[in-house]
Amino acid sequence: MANPTLSHLRTMLWLRWRLTRNQWRRGGVVNVVIMFIVVYAGLALAAIGSVAGLAAGIFGLPYARPVEILFVFDGLIAVFLFMWMMGLVTELQRSEVFDLTRFLHLPVALRDVFLLNYLASLLCLSMAAIVPAMLGLTLGLAVGCGPAMLLLLPLVLGFFFMITAWTYRLRGWLAALMVNKRRRQAVIMGVTLAFILVFQLPNLIVNVWGGPGHTRPPQTPEGLAQWQAERQAEEYETEAVFNAVHQVVPLLWLPNGAKGLAEGRVWPALWGALGMIALGSWGFAGAYRGTLRFYQGNGTAKVPAASPVTNTRHEAGKTIFVERSLPLVPQPVTALGLAVLRSMSRAPEVKMALTMNIVIFGVIGAGVIMRRPGTAPAELLPFLACGAAAVTFMGLTQLLFNHFGFDRNGFRALVLLPTPRRHILMGKNLALLVVAFGVFSVFLVMVTALARLRFSDVAAAVLEFAAVFLIMSVLGNLASILAPYRVGAGTMKATKMTGLTALLVFVGHFVSMAAIVPAFFPPLLGMLIGYFTPLSVTVATLLCAAVLAGLAALLYWQTLAPLGRLLERREPKILEMVTHEVE
Amino acid sequence: MLAVETSGLTRCFGPVRAVDGLNLRVEAGQFFGFLGPNGAGKSTTIKMLTGLLAPTSGSMRVLETDLSTTAAARSVKRRIGVVPEDLALFDNLTAREYLTFIGRMYLLPSETVRQRCQELLAMMDLDREEKKTTLEYSHGMKKKLALAAALLPNPDLLFLDEPFEGVDAVASRMLRDVLLGFVKRGTTVFLTSHVLEIVEKLCTHVGIVAQGKLVLQASMDDVRQNGSLEERFLEVVGNGQVEKQKLSWLEE
Repeated sequence: MANPTLSHLRTMLWLRWRLTRNQWRRGGVVNVVIMFIVVYAGLALAAIGSVAGLAAGIFGLPYARPVEILFVFDGLIAVFLFMWMMGLVTELQRSEVFDLTRFLHLPVALRDVFLLNYLASLLCLSMAAIVPAMLGLTLGLAVGCGPAMLLLLPLVLGFFFMITAWTYRLRGWLAALMVNKRRRQAVIMGVTLAFILVFQLPNLIVNVWGGPGHTRPPQTPEGLAQWQAERQAEEYETEAVFNAVHQVVPLLWLPNGAKGLAEGRVWPALWGALGMIALGSWGFAGAYRGTLRFYQGNGTAKVPAASPVTNTRHEAGKTIFVERSLPLVPQPVTALGLAVLRSMSRAPEVKMALTMNIVIFGVIGAGVIMRRPGTAPAELLPFLACGAAAVTFMGLTQLLFNHFGFDRNGFRALVLLPTPRRHILMGKNLALLVVAFGVFSVFLVMVTALARLRFSDVAAAVLEFAAVFLIMSVLGNLASILAPYRVGAGTMKATKMTGLTALLVFVGHFVSMAAIVPAFFPPLLGMLIGYFTPLSVTVATLLCAAVLAGLAALLYWQTLAPLGRLLERREPKILEMVTHEVE
Repeated sequence: MLAVETSGLTRCFGPVRAVDGLNLRVEAGQFFGFLGPNGAGKSTTIKMLTGLLAPTSGSMRVLETDLSTTAAARSVKRRIGVVPEDLALFDNLTAREYLTFIGRMYLLPSETVRQRCQELLAMMDLDREEKKTTLEYSHGMKKKLALAAALLPNPDLLFLDEPFEGVDAVASRMLRDVLLGFVKRGTTVFLTSHVLEIVEKLCTHVGIVAQGKLVLQASMDDVRQNGSLEERFLEVVGNGQVEKQKLSWLEE
């Protein structure tokens, strides 16, 4: 009779493969092609990595300084951690593999499922790409520098064991948190955001605080000597900190051990290996204990917290958010706008999209301005102000161009309504206006504070924002009707996208970029008018911005009714795209 | 007055004719049960009648209005309430917010919306967990909320696709009483269900569809003359289907 554990392992591996394959297949032909490319790229990476590692170890690194060997391992670890965290974020959005409840009714022990699931989780692109490279490098170094380098082997294995064991523990903890569906979305958002912030942190630090080596050497010989002495002292200090960090941070014990071995010291490698294996075992044992608690009900984490009976009966007379009215706006428009806004304010994926926008602006844009606040020339200020308006829309394209994809099954409610379809479009646009204006306000305040914008620049920027929003709304309404796609709950990920839709969405992104361009017309025209006529640049810019906003409003109003009719005709098609298939 | 009338209604999905030339007539005020085995075309028919799906061919009239033009179809929507098969809820709204939204879209006065919301939430036992969004609801709770939304505009015609599926016994009883109350005051109820006992108890008329075709339409009294609804149902959809397949290891 076959070994049951091995047989189960084979089955788990098969399951993992089928889940991945089917998920990609559902996405259509393009996804299948991508899947094959990924699989073969993984295999190729494994082969190339091991051969390249071996070659580098034998022919290149024996002549390198110990600190250079340390940098090589640092680089490999950075690449691995990046890929590993990407994988973790992806896995979180599809928790089949680590949801053990799906296996517990089967004739297999929890311990076995836990172990097998852990082993199955090791089969991923990041492991395929980096583990063979590191092992090849280790063997190469053993050949090139001597057998003492074989001590790198337990270091490498200890490193991967530590990382995978603690990731497994983290996954278990997150899975326990995600029992609550609403919290699940927040967890996914939090992890994704943490991932982005961690990898953007160096960029942010360099942009905001300038980073090292920004002073120029003085011209006088005395000054130059002092400058060199200071640089040298700084370098020693940096190196000391660098070494200390490598000795203290467990993630860096592998490069530290490799450097030690290259210097002829074996203890850093031995202690590093032991330390990582010990930490890995601790993480693994903790993951197992957490799993037992969660699935067998021996702890606080395992029982999904029963929702307390809140008994929050609606207080008579108290107006809730979706009951509010807006002056001059038809009731259905307000009702839909407020409902969509309330819904978006609770959707972690929307919060994530908005936060990302602000983070990217902070990292790239604000960082540059912060390095020399208030030094932009006066002619540039109107452009900086309208830049805030333009950047706002760069991160909102998915929301603006796919209104109904986020409704999912809720779109049926819209189809069943007797409301004129132009009101539905207006309601959607109204909700997004609030969101976009919120983001724009943050940007405008940042730019105003850092670049010392004048009142006229701010006023023109608000008009330019209004104009671009209206243009984007027209295009967004059209794109939402013609190329809708379903977005998975709690993510910004397209889940049912055909090749044609993907193409249209791709084109839509370029079109959205083009729609932002008119925002720059008013400052440009204002500058030209100011140059060729007696009118001041400020007044001319404001006038041009007002005209642009007026034209955009006219365009919006004129297209609303035909787009409403188009929406009505396309409703069945949109339903097919954004809701669950039932036929 | 006819609440629902279809003529040669057909819907194809590729080579499959999910609904095949359906000719249906439902009088206003009837409690109409639309029955059929899985995949017979019940939900597809309801989807076409409620505007969620376009027919391939044929014509439909709902509440004496021809649905061939979009404007007419939209005007009829003011007078109907629908619980679709996969419901139609927004994940991130609470029950009260969703009902308020629906009420306002039907242009009901705010006081009316508030009062009806309160009553419906209490009746459906959803008022105790007001802070939960529908994403956190169980299937039964979602069903009750969808039903509350369908009842909110006080419609002349109710389309209910499997309203009793996933609903507990207490809610089911309450639901039956509510629906009977609606029929009593002249509302037409058009429902699909797999629970024949409930249909037999509630409905005044039934239509049975199999493989997209209407195989029986009669009053419940007529159906009962030749036995129970279940017997008649099995008779018209084909007895062959209920013949138990033999399992080789049971025979051993």
